[in-house]
Amino acid sequence: MKVVVDMTLCQDHGQCAIAAPEVFRMDEDSKLVFDAEPDESLSDAVQDAIDVCPVQAIFLER
Amino acid sequence: MTQTPTAATPPLSWDDLAYLPVSDSSFSVQSDAVRQARAQGWCARTPYGLAVLRYDEVNKLIKDRRLRQGSWAWPAHNGVTGRFADWWAGWLLNMEGEDHARLRRLLNPAFSPRALAELSPTFVALANELVDGFAATGECEYVSQFAEPYAARVVAMLLGIPEQEWPAIAEVSATIGLAMGVTFAQELPRIEEALDRLFAYCDAIIADRTANPRDDFATTLVLAQRDGERLSPTELRDSMALLVFGGFDTTRNQLALAMKTFAEHPDQWALLAQRPDLGKAAVEEVMRVSPTVTWVTREALADFEFQGLTIEAGTTVHLFSESAGTDPRAFADPSFDITAEGRVPHFGFGGGAHHCLGHFVGRMDMSVALPILAQRMPDLRIGPGAEWMPLSGNTGAHRLPLLFTPQS
Repeated sequence: MKVVVDMTLCQDHGQCAIAAPEVFRMDEDSKLVFDAEPDESLSDAVQDAIDVCPVQAIFLER
Repeated sequence: MTQTPTAATPPLSWDDLAYLPVSDSSFSVQSDAVRQARAQGWCARTPYGLAVLRYDEVNKLIKDRRLRQGSWAWPAHNGVTGRFADWWAGWLLNMEGEDHARLRRLLNPAFSPRALAELSPTFVALANELVDGFAATGECEYVSQFAEPYAARVVAMLLGIPEQEWPAIAEVSATIGLAMGVTFAQELPRIEEALDRLFAYCDAIIADRTANPRDDFATTLVLAQRDGERLSPTELRDSMALLVFGGFDTTRNQLALAMKTFAEHPDQWALLAQRPDLGKAAVEEVMRVSPTVTWVTREALADFEFQGLTIEAGTTVHLFSESAGTDPRAFADPSFDITAEGRVPHFGFGGGAHHCLGHFVGRMDMSVALPILAQRMPDLRIGPGAEWMPLSGNTGAHRLPLLFTPQS
């Protein structure tokens, strides 16, 4: 599983970090950092993050 | 992009800020005073604290974790305790940190755009049915004949409440809405009576879907689980009641504001009728220049400095969504244009951790409705007798007579 975030769309709302804190988090400056190759066991959480992103900037490459 | 001031940021004194009387009933977020204050600086003083007026600063502060959502203490400010205050404390909007994150994780799946996409044809049918009621006459009272039934029946559809019961949803929501006003404490018995009725609706839906799960929004909400956790019956009821209250009022008001905006831009209305594919862009543009939520409220958690200004713990910060959305620093041409490309996002759904949970629903139902209205209500004009809410806080119309060329 490979997670891709379109950083030209990302607005740093941080909803993905709420939905899947194991994969996404907001750094000290409230900017997104994420694990681009999370474990398959986190696929449900990643799907929730993809769904909840207000600007739909998160994608999955399998 | 850093949020801490650099050596180059000169200190900013509260005494030097413009003053905006935002608590006056005559105050307007679109007034010359707001425009002058925005030209003068990024913020202004208010009777409550600070107003933030420019796009960049609103964009930073709306996501800044040194601030929390600002209306959590509203019942306490009004001396209100009891079951309304308990409900309020359990609102997703009024929670922070891990409590907020846990609840949001459990509520998110019901609101996913994939789950909602199948509702689009139902929204089309609903919009057409309502317009059928007045299209031949060339006039309507838009709030009671379209915006209110449309918004209430969308909520009814989501929750599986019989659609003919929509007036009860509207009435209960309007009564609970009195809690947002200055007569909150006096109206508390009425408000709590309405809340009890809303809770009874929610409890019945929860019991039904628990016993008879189906493939619908309410069942997804009721059965949601994550990391071995479920929503408790109280969390479910409180959240469902918030969904009814929050989803109905904002949609009704935003739909009325859309008609006001388009009545002022007849060329855009005609274009939308020709190009229904612009429905999504129409919603975004309306919410940029005429959002129902004219400001998003935050409260400082600790003393901090932002762009040279010291903001003390407890300060109420109002982030002006319309002022940011029309800021010439962010929009080279801020005029209303549903064909404009490359717009930065507006703040009509808030932002950050408290970004509106139901925005996919609102975006979809309004983007479906507006092109249908444009096609079936050509030559739109506002008729005599419109009654508008103050252009502050959450705004909209009480009454909106519309005139148009009847369709054969």
